[in-house]
Amino acid sequence: MLVIENLSTYYGAIQALDQVSIEVKQGQFVAIVGPNGAGKTTLFDSICGHVKPQSGSITFNGIDLLTLPAKERAHLGLSHVPEGRQVFPNLTVYENLLMGASTQQGRADWHRNLEMCFTLFPILAQRRDQLAGTLSGGEQQMVAIARGLASSPKLLLLDEPSMGLAPIVVDMIFERIKALHEEMKLSILLVEQRVVEALDPCDWAYVLNVGRCVASGPPQDIIKDKGIAQAYLGMQ
Amino acid sequence: MYIVIENLLQRLVTGIMVGSIYGLLCTGLGMIFGVIRVINFAQGELMMLGMYATMFLGGLLALWLSVGSAAGAYLAIFVVAAALGGVGWMIQKYLISHVSGFKASQSDNQGHFAQLILTLGLSLVISNGALILFGSSPRTVQSPLASSSVTIGPFSEGDIMIFLNQARGIGCLVAIAVSIVLYLIVQKTRLGITMRAAADNPKAATLMGIDIEKSYATAFAIGTAATAIAGGLIAMYYPFHPYTGFEFVIIMYAGVVLGGMGSMLGAFWGGFTMGLVQQLSTYFLPFQLQNATIFVLFLVVVLLRPQGLFGKNVERA
Amino acid sequence: MLMPVTKGPQLAMIGVVSAIMALGSLWISDPYYQLILSTVPIWATVALTWNLFSGYTGLISFGHATFFGLGAFTVALLFIKLGISPWYGLMLAFMVGACASVLIGSITFRLRGHYFAIAMLAYPTLFIFLFDWMGWQELTFPIVRDHPMQFMQFKDGRAYTLMGVGLMTLTLLLTLFIERSRFGLAMMSIKQNEMAAQAAGIHTFRVKMMGFVLSGALGALVGGFHAVVLQVVTPHGVLGTVVSAQALILTLFGGVGTLWGPVIGATVLVPLTEGLRAELGHILPGIQGVIYGLTIMIVIVVAPEGLYWKVRDILHRKNSASPELKKDRKNITWVSDGAKRIQSTTTILRVEGISKAFGGLQALKNVNFEVYENEILGIIGPNGAGKTTLFNVLNGFQIPDAGVITFRDNITTGQGPHQLCSVGMGRTFQVSRPFLRMNVFDNVLVGALGVCKNSEDAKFLAQQALDMVGMSEMNDQSIQSLTNLELRLLELARALASQPKLLLLDETLAGLGTAEVDAILQVIHHLPSQGITIVIIEHTMQAMMRLVDRMVVLDHGQVIAKGLPQKVMNEPEVINAYLGKKWMTLHASH
Repeated sequence: MLVIENLSTYYGAIQALDQVSIEVKQGQFVAIVGPNGAGKTTLFDSICGHVKPQSGSITFNGIDLLTLPAKERAHLGLSHVPEGRQVFPNLTVYENLLMGASTQQGRADWHRNLEMCFTLFPILAQRRDQLAGTLSGGEQQMVAIARGLASSPKLLLLDEPSMGLAPIVVDMIFERIKALHEEMKLSILLVEQRVVEALDPCDWAYVLNVGRCVASGPPQDIIKDKGIAQAYLGMQ
Repeated sequence: MYIVIENLLQRLVTGIMVGSIYGLLCTGLGMIFGVIRVINFAQGELMMLGMYATMFLGGLLALWLSVGSAAGAYLAIFVVAAALGGVGWMIQKYLISHVSGFKASQSDNQGHFAQLILTLGLSLVISNGALILFGSSPRTVQSPLASSSVTIGPFSEGDIMIFLNQARGIGCLVAIAVSIVLYLIVQKTRLGITMRAAADNPKAATLMGIDIEKSYATAFAIGTAATAIAGGLIAMYYPFHPYTGFEFVIIMYAGVVLGGMGSMLGAFWGGFTMGLVQQLSTYFLPFQLQNATIFVLFLVVVLLRPQGLFGKNVERA
Repeated sequence: MLMPVTKGPQLAMIGVVSAIMALGSLWISDPYYQLILSTVPIWATVALTWNLFSGYTGLISFGHATFFGLGAFTVALLFIKLGISPWYGLMLAFMVGACASVLIGSITFRLRGHYFAIAMLAYPTLFIFLFDWMGWQELTFPIVRDHPMQFMQFKDGRAYTLMGVGLMTLTLLLTLFIERSRFGLAMMSIKQNEMAAQAAGIHTFRVKMMGFVLSGALGALVGGFHAVVLQVVTPHGVLGTVVSAQALILTLFGGVGTLWGPVIGATVLVPLTEGLRAELGHILPGIQGVIYGLTIMIVIVVAPEGLYWKVRDILHRKNSASPELKKDRKNITWVSDGAKRIQSTTTILRVEGISKAFGGLQALKNVNFEVYENEILGIIGPNGAGKTTLFNVLNGFQIPDAGVITFRDNITTGQGPHQLCSVGMGRTFQVSRPFLRMNVFDNVLVGALGVCKNSEDAKFLAQQALDMVGMSEMNDQSIQSLTNLELRLLELARALASQPKLLLLDETLAGLGTAEVDAILQVIHHLPSQGITIVIIEHTMQAMMRLVDRMVVLDHGQVIAKGLPQKVMNEPEVINAYLGKKWMTLHASH
């Protein structure tokens, strides 16, 4: 579905991604883990068009993304739930979700999707007329994910959903994400710092460090890998 | 004694009427300055163009459609507003977007200064261009409404009578109606919500597939149209000339700042207050100083409470 | 550098231009052309006075007409109502301008950005209303028969032009001296990054006020002179938006923040518009405004900083070094002296019970730790842990809700950045905004300005700082040619130039490649032996482990571990914060 090949991206003179190759097949849940500064956000930025890669390719269902401007990519069925939530703070929860449904498919499925989101995240139904900027971190994350789902996506990109959230909330969020994948058979590409939470529900995992892909495989194998502790904690 | 009350009441009533029209005026700028955070110094000049266009078109329409000059004028106001909205759309899309955004923030100034200066230049071109085309003598939109009034009263043993100038009165009603429509568009329709989203978080909006450039241009167009309508209404009772724009641009900015950034409702009340203050000041102050109250109020607001009455975030030292 | 930057050639330029203008005016005796000619140096001076403040500090003002108009009215009123000669009138105009600036500045400096620009618009208009009401719609200078020269009335128009050129020359000289002075550098540093300027010890309010007063006083002076030349003063003529706009447009066109920009603008645009107005004014009234408007629109889109900079950039690009040269350069030298650091137990900074909340978010909660002299302390934590907020609180940009900060045995909670700088606390910023148009040395010099009394000391400190980071051979290098590593080192040097005892490094290693990190680490390692304590925020783990003596770990605004790096990284809370609780349980056996 999503095929990234030998992607290299620079920020100025600094190389943020070095020959990274990732693949997400239909119905798969793929996780990318790695410490801060590993290039995870740059990867997502490259996919959604905020940053232009130096070399390599990104194709989605056969379409070359690199020739498509950022605002068109959502309409292909790529839904990006950004790092740090990035809700519309001065819009209500309902309005935030409505904005998520800005694609053609999203508009067609609006009522069904709205129901689905409120079932998945009941607290949002309670808070539907509250300004998103006044919600707690966990609630905002839910809004962001629900907003991502409102476009009836083919592939959901989740960018560090745990960031800045308390552990209990993180557990809850990941439990919902797992449910999403299992019940709706939604294809998900997840990027995370928290290794175990990310590896638990996924089908395939990649480890990114200093812009390079240092490991890939089924989650059971990755978890046992000592190299991860090294990458994260700088241990020898 | 009764004369004092009558004078005050008269000014209050006029203030409410004028205030409503100014409210619409500021709502227009409020959309542009308050919602999409674009500084348009030429807003007043666009209004002025609207006034002249209404005057010319109003006469023509009255002739073609065989209606009274007033009806022709009101019709013209809306036609002109639509046209100016289109002009506004192009200004944002082809001029302002080139100097704002991420590109401009790389230079020493922020995009805002570039917008400020670009639109300053635009306002100079438009106002002086108008001077060349139309001459400097003041004009009005011809209609009998400006000189006819409806009386309220008599009250209080027949000593107090209030006059409602018809041009102002109808203008007030139209202004309120249009403001309500605008408010509904921005708050309730998908178009309006999309505009607010694009202004609130442009990066996230792009992720949703929203075309933020188009949103900004639409917001600019609507804001300009609103200002044009208000301008047309004002032109029905107040003479205008090529430099009228500057006179009103301060009222507009003062009103928006008073009402609070990002709040269209606030912009309306800010404008309303400006109108009210202006009319009330005619009681206390000599003619030349009346407009000074607007400026003083502007300074006071911007210095003491820059977030305004309803505002959210603000740029302050 | 292709334009002369040292004083000598600039002085010569001033002399030449003034001479040309003066001679030109003497040569042309046709009164029609004389009038046009005389307005050029006057408007050049007006633009120069606007540029003095707005050009260098970056605080664009839309209300320069206030001072111009006040000066005009002062001279006119003193002459017409009190019979005081304009020779004295001008001096008084100068003082009126200065007083008005102080008043307006103290009220309006609270505002930033476009609020300041628009607010400044209000003042001239208020004065128009006031003067209209006072009945001064048109003040005409009476013609003096006896001793007209005593009242600045010359028969020959050329005298006015010469005086105008004289005024312009004086203002040019003043601008030149300011540009190269500490004061000028301080103003420019405000334009670049007001926060960094404050952290470097510059009292920004004072600097802004000084610039504003100079600008206003001189603006009033030239306004008064202009009134004498025209012999008539009207409120709209001297206080109208056109005046403010003209000052702005001439400068912006020619080149903002430069010595010659306003002059270029005046010599090109004034004759053009005056000429057009004279020729076509009766058919096309307002042609002047249209030209100015179009000019500024084109300029802001095509060359937003003005002609001067655009031309310089184009010429620069033609002569710039080829890419290969960059890589070959091995200019960075550092001394790896292997000096052993003496572990001190004196506390240089004590942080007790610091809490800070923003709205509903608790960014810092009861943070406690100590920093010992001459150590390198690392503050780490996952994203959103509150590290930058902590720095902002330590450095004076934010006031904590609770807690005490003690620096060098003095309580410093609540003190501002420039005060802290003067007692020895320095800081680097994540987003460094160097002066693109100045060379390396001048960029570092800014850092020394806040703490030095004279420029000799400042230069010494700047050079010392550059030596410390190993860039001593690069003084004259232009910023655009620097590599990422060199830019980081530059920022470090700027902070070092104020001779801090404690240096806060804000993510100095972010985004650097491995080799570059190694290079910076070497420099930082070297600093404590010079008596500088380092506190560094980072989240690049490996580098931190190699660099720091002790660590403080923050998570969700709280300190979760303190101590030696190896010990800290093995603590459960820390591993939990980075990898999650579940990891701990999974790897319990390891």
